[in-house]
Amino acid sequence: MTDSPAAFTVKSPVPLDFGKAVTDTSRPGVFVIDITFPHGQAVNIQEISFKNYYTAFLMVRMMMRDPSQEGSPKWFTCLRNHRLMRNPHTEQGSQDYYSLYRQQMLTAPDGVTLVRLILRQPSLAWLNFTLEEIKIHPYPSEQDSERAVPGWLSHLTPGDQPDLQDLPDPETVSSSLQQMWALTEVMQTHQTAAPIGRFDVDGCYDVTLLSYT
Amino acid sequence: MQVHRSMRTNHFLFANQTTMAEKRRSGVSGILSDSKPAKPDTETEFLSQLGVGVLLRGALLKLAEVRPEDPIAFLADHFGNLASESENGAAGCGDAEQQNTQEQQQLERALWHLRLAHHSQRSAFNNNVRVAYELLVQSGQRPRVGGGVRGKIYAEMLRCLCREGEVPEATAAPLLRRIQCHDHEAVPFELFRQGVLTCAVFSDYVRKSRSLYASVCHPCPETPAERALCQAVLGTLRDALDTSDCADSARFLEASAKIAPCKLAEAMASARSPAGPQTGPTMDAREFEDAAAALFITRVRPTS
Repeated sequence: MTDSPAAFTVKSPVPLDFGKAVTDTSRPGVFVIDITFPHGQAVNIQEISFKNYYTAFLMVRMMMRDPSQEGSPKWFTCLRNHRLMRNPHTEQGSQDYYSLYRQQMLTAPDGVTLVRLILRQPSLAWLNFTLEEIKIHPYPSEQDSERAVPGWLSHLTPGDQPDLQDLPDPETVSSSLQQMWALTEVMQTHQTAAPIGRFDVDGCYDVTLLSYT
Repeated sequence: MQVHRSMRTNHFLFANQTTMAEKRRSGVSGILSDSKPAKPDTETEFLSQLGVGVLLRGALLKLAEVRPEDPIAFLADHFGNLASESENGAAGCGDAEQQNTQEQQQLERALWHLRLAHHSQRSAFNNNVRVAYELLVQSGQRPRVGGGVRGKIYAEMLRCLCREGEVPEATAAPLLRRIQCHDHEAVPFELFRQGVLTCAVFSDYVRKSRSLYASVCHPCPETPAERALCQAVLGTLRDALDTSDCADSARFLEASAKIAPCKLAEAMASARSPAGPQTGPTMDAREFEDAAAALFITRVRPTS
């Protein structure tokens, strides 16, 4: 299970061309998608999920700020030539949903400022190809309350049994307390919010209908 | 064989005819007899005209549902209620005194219905509350308050319920203050049901708190219990009741962990006075009961 995705902006795919001849009929086989995070924040990535649209191969590069070194951020290749479609000419895998996890990546994606997805489709059959619905899921932080184990669970196994001499029997006391707790619970679950209508004026507060008579 | 059978049949018919003759003479029809096709038609017609089958079926169903210790007294009350209900339906409005007694009777009847099922038998209890509500809505002076039971009758009924549940007046007073309504207000069914259920549950709760006090006193039943012990026990209950609002199942687990016997043993051991038992200040039964009742009452939502 992953948490809600981090916010980011995706730039539109940019084709890469070779040489100076740029014609209208050129069909680039490579697209690049850049993903930046707002306010230049650095994110620890747990997962990247997306829907494929006829992309055959994917390469993922990330610009990461290395916390140990104080220098400028550097580019790291996280996935090299990841195959999305089994056969670039056929339909298989062309519109599937994929998830890339941090365990699959060559370097741990921590402190990422920029993600670059490089899409390749060598086949002539597909003119346009891209990735849709890209989501980046951050690594969950320590204060995530839903994953935390509740405090009372760790106190379940009793420590040394205290000396019970001259004390009332804990079993009988506990059973009475449990029944009293259950009775209060019954009362609370059957509370209704139904008002008695103390201040209702025939059930409506419409100003135009109030009168002095 | 043939002869014997015919003799037995003759005897049966003869016995039936005598019973029929007796019935015709005394005019009593409320005997638990089954109508088999062997009887002559005029009797069955007569019985079905009166609608006796429905009456008896209703009485037997109620008897099976309630299972009272004294079935004859229960049946007598049941038929007595039915009789006075049909009487009241026919009567018009009389003077104030007559109306007061009528109100009192309706209240008694409503209370009788409410006593039939324990609040844990949810569907039977709800049915009885509905019947009691209908009874009380009809009682009262003209012009009738529309939309529910009159606040005065509702308050009186709650007081009677608490009294029957052996809850002392002083203990019940804060609860009644929370759920009562003004005399002139009309109480709708939802509120009525909630009030009745709260009083029934509260009487059970107070009874339980008395047995709790007895078990806390257990090592020496005659002397009152140590104050520190009582406070420790009530403190664990308060902790369990205050469990935070997460999902229901998590809340139940957490609360039950707090009032488990081992937790209680720890709390009581730490609260025990080091000088020995019966040396510290004590708490008597009444104070304990009031403190426990307060824990319940603070969680009752006041009527608004």
